[in-house]
Amino acid sequence: MDKTQALLALTEVFRQVFDQPTLVLTDAMTAADVQNWDSLNHIDLIVAVEKKFKIKFTTREVTGLKTVGDLAELTAKKASAAQ
Amino acid sequence: MTFTSFKFLLIFPLLVGIYYVLPQRCRVLFLLIASYAFVGLTSVRAAAAMAVATIFTFLAGKYAGDTGSQQRSYFAFLATISILTLCLCFFKITAVLPLGRFGRLAAPLGLSYYTFKLMSYVIDVYWGKIEPARNFTEFATAIAFFPQIAAGPIQRPADFLSQLPPTQTALWMGLSRMAWGMGKKLLIADNLAPTVGYIFSHTHTLHGASLLAGFYLFPLQMYADFSALTDIALGLGLIFGIVGPENFNRPFTASSISDFWRRWHMSLTNWLADYVFTPLRMATRSAGSAGLALSITINMLAVGLWHGFTLGYLVFGALNAAYLVGDVLTARRRTQFFKANPTFDRPGTWAGWLLTAHLFCLAMVFFRANHVGDALRLLAGMWSGLGTLSSDPASLAAATGTQTLLIGLAGYAILELAERFRPDLWWRRIEGTTPPWVYWSVRLAIATCVLAGIFLVTIRQGGHDSPFLYQVF
Repeated sequence: MDKTQALLALTEVFRQVFDQPTLVLTDAMTAADVQNWDSLNHIDLIVAVEKKFKIKFTTREVTGLKTVGDLAELTAKKASAAQ
Repeated sequence: MTFTSFKFLLIFPLLVGIYYVLPQRCRVLFLLIASYAFVGLTSVRAAAAMAVATIFTFLAGKYAGDTGSQQRSYFAFLATISILTLCLCFFKITAVLPLGRFGRLAAPLGLSYYTFKLMSYVIDVYWGKIEPARNFTEFATAIAFFPQIAAGPIQRPADFLSQLPPTQTALWMGLSRMAWGMGKKLLIADNLAPTVGYIFSHTHTLHGASLLAGFYLFPLQMYADFSALTDIALGLGLIFGIVGPENFNRPFTASSISDFWRRWHMSLTNWLADYVFTPLRMATRSAGSAGLALSITINMLAVGLWHGFTLGYLVFGALNAAYLVGDVLTARRRTQFFKANPTFDRPGTWAGWLLTAHLFCLAMVFFRANHVGDALRLLAGMWSGLGTLSSDPASLAAATGTQTLLIGLAGYAILELAERFRPDLWWRRIEGTTPPWVYWSVRLAIATCVLAGIFLVTIRQGGHDSPFLYQVF
């Protein structure tokens, strides 16, 4: 799986978690660009991504994420390693 | 020494003057010396404690970042966090519980703030988010930076260090922000303070409307006072070329308690969200809603106890934890309800705003009261004294002065309007199209009014320092 495919798959997860059916993700997006994305529900998003891709993140990895692109890259790397 | 004291106002132009004529390579060292002098003038013991903690953390961070071994890095991280936490807890406990023949020990100035800065640095190095600092002078300045030492905002060392050398000084913007903060402090907070102080120290004799006034007035006083201190700290930072993190974003416009905590004391809540809540939430993520509730509760108790180890702060944290858990666990259902019933959307927002403000006022009663018993007496008494409505406020006014309270309230109304309509942004937009002689005349007129105002208010106070509420933490 590459980063573009991961970003596409992540879009579905984001739409479900944040209840925004028309949300379109881009690499540079941050929490400030997505309504309702804050520290309180950030881990809900991480859990949903873990379930969808059957992967596990560490705290260190999660706290190092700055943009949606970072999350897509990490997800792609972990999903490829898990296959 | 407070930022609104005569002593500081005399030293301040001298500091700025020297700073602006110094070569850029000397500025960081100058800031370090000024910062230690600022703390040392209050207490040499406090300056020494800060120096020891800074040297220790600098060396530990270097070791954690540079050692090739994951195990040794973890040990350095764990040891540093444990020692810093123990020191913080020791002083928080001895501030309320007497320690044998030493009695109560006051915490060194700025301890809560610089300890959190040091902790975030070591955690970030351990997590690999930043490289260990190589320059001790720069690192020590990031920790001790005097505008932020007394009451924050809590600026992460990495953010501070990324702005060095401090070339982007903004004198006029910094002075304007400082003047705004001083106005808030001297005209609003200090005029609300006597009434609030009187009410909270007479909860056993006052009733009804008077106690209700305390319920509503203290959060306003706290906001004016604390945001004033933040304005002055950020303004000073701009003058010295450092952009600090904001602490407030119109908190009383929040329509839910989670929204409120995104707007109130943001540098502390962001710190705790990153270093306490997120790791806890990750560890408890398989427990679903129970894990979320537990993480929020521990986080909010930490918010309360950070202010001091007293029952009042614990209740403050516990109440906010209960509010937040309730808010977060019902958020999805509420969103679905308002989507299905759009006619209720606007009334729902208003109801949310009213409820949020009242819930926060309720928690703040425990924050302010000298004892939990006083807080409970105020909350019970504000409903029970309807028969004394006419005489009670009159005695309150006689004791504290109606004029002072009215100036404070009028000032608060101006503050809310200014934050809503932002005349500063409008002025900045038109400034670019205005001839320099016009905007310099306006600036000079404003500066004269502000200086005269501060001078008159300080004279009226008899030259006494009026400490900021958050300086005690």
